[in-house]
Amino acid sequence: MQRRDILKAGAAAATLGFPAIIRAQQKEVVILGLWDQTGAFADVGPLNDRGMRMALEERDMKILGRPVKYVTRDGATQAGTSTRRAEEAIDGEGARFMIGPWSSGVALAVSEVAKRKKVLHLFSGGTEDISGSRCHRYSFQWAASPYTAAKTVVDNFMKANPKAKRWHLLVADYAFGWSVEKYIKEVGKNHGIEFVGADRHPLGEREFSNYVQKAAANRPDVVVMINFGGDAVAGAREIFNFGLTPKVPLIMAWSSGVEELIQLSPEIRENLWVGTNFYYTVDTPVAKKFVADYRAKFKTPPGYAPSAAYSMTRLMLAGFDKAKSVEVQDVIKALEGIEVNDLLGQMRVDGATHQTLRPYFFLRCKPKAQMKEELDFATLIATGDAPLPKEYAACKDIGGF
Amino acid sequence: MLYALMGLGLSLITGVLNIPNFAHGALFAIGAYLLVSAANLIGNFWIGLLLAPLGVALLGLIIEYAGIRRLYAAGHDYQLLFTFGLALILNELIIVIWGPVGISQLPPAILRGGVDLGFTFYPKYRLFVMVMAGLLVLLTWLFLERTRYGAIMRAGIENKEMVSLLGIDIHKLFTVAFALGAFLAGIAGALTAPIRGLSPGMGVDMLGIAFVVVALGGLGNLLGAIAAGLLIGVAQAVVAAYWTEASTAVIFAVMALVLLIRPQGMFGIR
Amino acid sequence: MRALVLILISICLLPFIVRPAIASEIWIFAIFGLGLNLLLGYTGLLSFGQSTFFGSAAYVAGWLLKNYGINVFFALGIGVGVGALSALLVGYLCVQRSGLYFIMLTFALNQLFYFIAYQWTTVTGGEDGMPGVPRPAFLGFDFANPILYYAFVSVLFLLSLYLMRRIVESPLGKILQAIRENELRAEAVGYNVPRFKLLAFVVGGAFSGLAGVLYAMLFGIVPLEAISFVFSGNVVFATLIGGSGSLYGPIIGSFVFIWLSESMSVMWARWPLLLGVAFVIVVLFFRGGVVEVWNRFFAWRSSKQRA
Repeated sequence: MQRRDILKAGAAAATLGFPAIIRAQQKEVVILGLWDQTGAFADVGPLNDRGMRMALEERDMKILGRPVKYVTRDGATQAGTSTRRAEEAIDGEGARFMIGPWSSGVALAVSEVAKRKKVLHLFSGGTEDISGSRCHRYSFQWAASPYTAAKTVVDNFMKANPKAKRWHLLVADYAFGWSVEKYIKEVGKNHGIEFVGADRHPLGEREFSNYVQKAAANRPDVVVMINFGGDAVAGAREIFNFGLTPKVPLIMAWSSGVEELIQLSPEIRENLWVGTNFYYTVDTPVAKKFVADYRAKFKTPPGYAPSAAYSMTRLMLAGFDKAKSVEVQDVIKALEGIEVNDLLGQMRVDGATHQTLRPYFFLRCKPKAQMKEELDFATLIATGDAPLPKEYAACKDIGGF
Repeated sequence: MLYALMGLGLSLITGVLNIPNFAHGALFAIGAYLLVSAANLIGNFWIGLLLAPLGVALLGLIIEYAGIRRLYAAGHDYQLLFTFGLALILNELIIVIWGPVGISQLPPAILRGGVDLGFTFYPKYRLFVMVMAGLLVLLTWLFLERTRYGAIMRAGIENKEMVSLLGIDIHKLFTVAFALGAFLAGIAGALTAPIRGLSPGMGVDMLGIAFVVVALGGLGNLLGAIAAGLLIGVAQAVVAAYWTEASTAVIFAVMALVLLIRPQGMFGIR
Repeated sequence: MRALVLILISICLLPFIVRPAIASEIWIFAIFGLGLNLLLGYTGLLSFGQSTFFGSAAYVAGWLLKNYGINVFFALGIGVGVGALSALLVGYLCVQRSGLYFIMLTFALNQLFYFIAYQWTTVTGGEDGMPGVPRPAFLGFDFANPILYYAFVSVLFLLSLYLMRRIVESPLGKILQAIRENELRAEAVGYNVPRFKLLAFVVGGAFSGLAGVLYAMLFGIVPLEAISFVFSGNVVFATLIGGSGSLYGPIIGSFVFIWLSESMSVMWARWPLLLGVAFVIVVLFFRGGVVEVWNRFFAWRSSKQRA
């Protein structure tokens, strides 16, 4: 072992111990990225880290004249481990600002930690509870509201395919799945859509043959998948293998975009429609620069995961700028109602619910013949930013500090 | 069919060597990953399909020789700890070598698309896997039932001492059994790769199911493992049609139930 | 005696070396390990489903604490009770079998409980876990204070250790060890072996239940992992690494396991690899675990002194 490693090990052993008072520099701003390196989302953690790091490095790891200490913890995609490690970083490293995790279920647990420990918490994910029934002053939601997503997807798909009235849903049995499903059904009512079937599958499912055969038996005009990552890839593949697509269009309503599309072959992507929180061809100055930088560093264009981390970090930094302070409560107050023209274009944080109001993107994948290059997966055909109507808002009182 | 294959391999190992092989799932995963690498390097899926399980069998040989051999007298807890540690090592190695992101592997060109069976449209590749797995199971069964060495192996499951008393090198038998079990896991993994896609955790789920199959079929009963594997596959499909979320849970419920009523499994011999 | 002194010293020093929360976790896991070791080390039963009792107790007590505001001691009692009861159920189903079947049955039942917890989202929260478990004050002790809670946990740990020591040194303990050594002979001598195995289960389950409640209160959440087979595996491995042949093995194992996994995960995301290697090394060379290393070291040293 190199001496460096021994020293590192010793330092790690020491850091496990000494209270924050002794260790954390007085002036440092400690920011925690709670990203999963093991467990179901092990492939996403490193991507999140990239995005967050890029945003911090843009500021030379400094904010308001103070050095920024960026620490990461592996949440292991588990509620227990994530809350434990988040607390450890807060108490042990003095982290007062937290971004992550990626899993919406785990995020609910972590959000409780934020409330208890009074630290700022930003999160991107499909559960509407963080800005809904479980809202509180310390947590902010970056991802579009599932309502916004559903409306963007359904409205724009129906514009292009007005006759597709029979819809079959395949939903991940998880927080974001239920939320998006609920709103797709709500919005679908207005279009006279008949939901001929809705099946739920466990998170992490890989064996989709039964679900696909059930879907096919319902003879739908459209199949909608509300799932994510490996599940979405496996599902799309099976739907193609069983001959459902490309005859029947497939909508991936809450996709990661590039991260999933890159794993599918052009044949599978034919007649695939994608709703996503970020796509790399979005035309804003910040996005163009970010995509270019990311591609230069990592060869592939960024998908949802790194972009969300990047944008959340930038949003947080904007909060610091506006508040002119690094105190948690000042930054929170600054974020409430903040308006930025950033990665996604116009973005605003609703002070009453801590939900970010921003566009959601709807894409149509290109058939092989129209692809200009290997990574030219889709055309951005529409964006939607309809906010959640007040009658659905479950966050009645964001509360105090 | 795949469940039968996995169950068969694990049953062989647990039956002959009498150890709980918690690394069986990891061997399955390695088979899939080796297929991807081999197919990409050589450019031919079929050669990859041949090489991958051989690679896993080789790995099995090394594992048995270097590690498990010392543990026969050690007691189940240590064997468990060892194979579990092995599973961790293999799992993490997969992430180190191939990265944590899921990989897709397309079936070979001839087997893409589907066949219209009249009542349903079924992917060609899945049919191929069913046939292939069935063939492998048949071949393995023939080997065990009709060849001399197979008979020795079955005897080894029944009564190790007798076999060694008859002058047969019991250690070599164990090594071959383990390598064969590993081969079956490896080829199951390789065959599955285009269907399920690859991810580092793919072995973990399979491990649970493999144990269920073995327990149901009866430890050491190879025919039982095959039957149980088929049964579980069918049961899962049936349950999925009515109560999709519970389809995996049902497997364990069935296992618990059967073990309670008939502790030696459905066809167990001891 | 020396061991006890060491333990007392570590109890006092630990919260200053690691955070109180991690220190509490170590002792809680040690209680869990003590329960398991009664089965594994003393009775020779490899129960691969201990988290069933741990998790069930955590969920029930957590739910009562959250929704009915019961007090701490009642919660502990519930935890012990649920742990013992679930162990009675599982044990009753398992003790008739032996060897690999026994292991697999405990594993299968654990999976069953796991999936029930996973599906019953209205009560358990499913994959998200059951957050919001309070740590109510009692008799003027505000357990929300991590140091006070740590003291509480340590006291309970010492109590558990004392109890376990009494149990293993009692006639019951001897009978269990006899069963481990030679089941047939124990049967022949007239002991109702299944009955005693079941008793070991219940006692082990009670300890696991206690640990479960303390765990839920420590983190304020009952995560799904608490009832998963991975957790069951963790306590088995920790105990084996510490050394299942000794009363103190599980304690050392808890230290090693938790401290290692927490410190390693910060350094290298692929640390489970090292864990796997550690398992392999223990099995191949140090089957008695850390305790064996310890004993061997002292034996070697004393032999050197003699020479």
